[in-house]
Amino acid sequence: MRAAAYPAFALTAFQSRLVYRNQVWASAFGDLVSIFARIAIWTAAFAGAAQVDGVTLPEMVTYALLSGPLLYWEYSRVLYDVGDAVRTGDVAVFLLKPLHYPSYLLSTHFGHFAFECVAIVVPVALIVGLTVGLLPPASLFHGLMFFPYWAVSWLILFTLACLCGLLAFWLLTAFSLEWFLMAIMSLFSGAIIPLWFLPTPLATIFGYLPFSWISYYPAAVYLGKLDPTATWLHLGIGLVWLGLLTAAVLALWGKARQRLIVQGG
Amino acid sequence: MAIISAQGVEKTFRQPKRKPGLAGAITSLFSREFTEVRAVNGISFAIEPGEAVGYLGPNGAGKSTMIKMMTGILVPTAGTLQVLGREPHSNRITNAAEIGVVFGQRSQLWWDLPVRDSFDLNRHIYDIPAHRFAENLARLTTMLDMGGYVDRPVRQLSLGQRMRAEIAMALLHDPKILFLDEPTIGLDVVAKDVVRKFLAEVNRDRGTTIILTTHDLVDIEEICPRLIMVDDGKLLFDGELKHLRQTLGSRRRLKLEFGTDPGPITLKTAALVTDDGLAKHFLLENEQTSILDVLTELGAGHDLTDIKLEEPNIEEVIRTFYQNKPAAVGARP
Repeated sequence: MRAAAYPAFALTAFQSRLVYRNQVWASAFGDLVSIFARIAIWTAAFAGAAQVDGVTLPEMVTYALLSGPLLYWEYSRVLYDVGDAVRTGDVAVFLLKPLHYPSYLLSTHFGHFAFECVAIVVPVALIVGLTVGLLPPASLFHGLMFFPYWAVSWLILFTLACLCGLLAFWLLTAFSLEWFLMAIMSLFSGAIIPLWFLPTPLATIFGYLPFSWISYYPAAVYLGKLDPTATWLHLGIGLVWLGLLTAAVLALWGKARQRLIVQGG
Repeated sequence: MAIISAQGVEKTFRQPKRKPGLAGAITSLFSREFTEVRAVNGISFAIEPGEAVGYLGPNGAGKSTMIKMMTGILVPTAGTLQVLGREPHSNRITNAAEIGVVFGQRSQLWWDLPVRDSFDLNRHIYDIPAHRFAENLARLTTMLDMGGYVDRPVRQLSLGQRMRAEIAMALLHDPKILFLDEPTIGLDVVAKDVVRKFLAEVNRDRGTTIILTTHDLVDIEEICPRLIMVDDGKLLFDGELKHLRQTLGSRRRLKLEFGTDPGPITLKTAALVTDDGLAKHFLLENEQTSILDVLTELGAGHDLTDIKLEEPNIEEVIRTFYQNKPAAVGARP
């Protein structure tokens, strides 16, 4: 098989999303409501103060947009995809083709993400930018470094969702897992509250867990809250976490496949 | 050389025993008991290139398990299985590139996209050269009469249209073997007929080896000269369909209709099956018995109005066969 099949999967996923236009409107509207709610909360919390803990209100607005719709994307699609395919045995369809299932998943969901970026995140960012205002990156360095952080963030969220989806094979339902994952991640990742507002001991612990690379670190880098040395260092740690998570996904997939082909779907 | 060979293939599943109730669910978290289910039990056969073989058996006979082993997504517990000279499960990707598979109950098409887009993805997955892809697509579209709907999304298709698309999709990369697991399930009479004629044609003209599981005997009559029958994971019969009919004794059915009810009739030449008063059905036990023999035995004066002789129906032949369940016939000539 040609590697060209994988970009084709991404493109197919992108195209398939064009079919459901209502879903796009609903998601965009939902994202807008939640982002304006968060802006309102931060405005109230700042209560006219120029800055809290060295962070300004416009920075928090930008943080809310980056850490929410952009970085903390709709991962439950991955979780259900993997969970259902493995549990119902539909994964057999993929095993019948000359392709690598985890790579197939990666390219398909990248296609979904690309679609959501274009159709939902960009319009939402435009509306927020024109009404409330968004900040540019703190410096050229921080702006450029945001991209590798973004990639690491995307892949970490993807691998975490895959892991939970694969666990469904043993636990029979991905449903309870999703709640668990959602609760942990929304707090640990910094998607709702940045780590700098958390009590220091908690922030220190969360700061070393892989979740904070999903929302907190990329957004903090964009806003220039990490100096260049810390930026490079945390990118390295993020990559190590990514490596570990990828290894875990591949190991679990190998195990699931082994069990599928030994036990049957 | 055989394109598929199975020797003493076995497949045993370990299924966790579920205890009823909440207490049972909690206990099973800590200690699990397993029951062993032998889905395939010592099956051997060899299939030559270009053959069309029907794999027949009742629900739970181990048909799908066997197909899954041949396609490399299940590992046999014992025995040896070779497809295209390779062990399928340890060469899954190489094997997958040379076979085509259709599962009647699982779709391989992309639900939201036009059929053509799914075909195009297959072109990438199987790395089909552009000209061959175009050629195959045109040929399959005509043969399966898909012209009217290749550009429609899969979710808008009828089951018959979808199944034709599934079959076309499995053939785009010119597989050497085509496996079909219940391809006509749920289709109406017309759609079944289209699928059967097409498969017979692919087998005849392209020389594609076809292995097909089904409950529907007509599938086998029209597509597969050779029949493998299984039950309880064991091989019951392997041979030509007409051979099966002969082996099992073709019992012809005789229907006698009367103007007035003659009352119960017992004959030596034919056994009474059903008695509806005016119409009586008999089975002719013996191949040599003629209608004349029956009529002679019956004698005159019964107000007989009509006589009808029916050749045995294959469904009935097979039903008798399963009910008698010989250990193993192995009638391959």
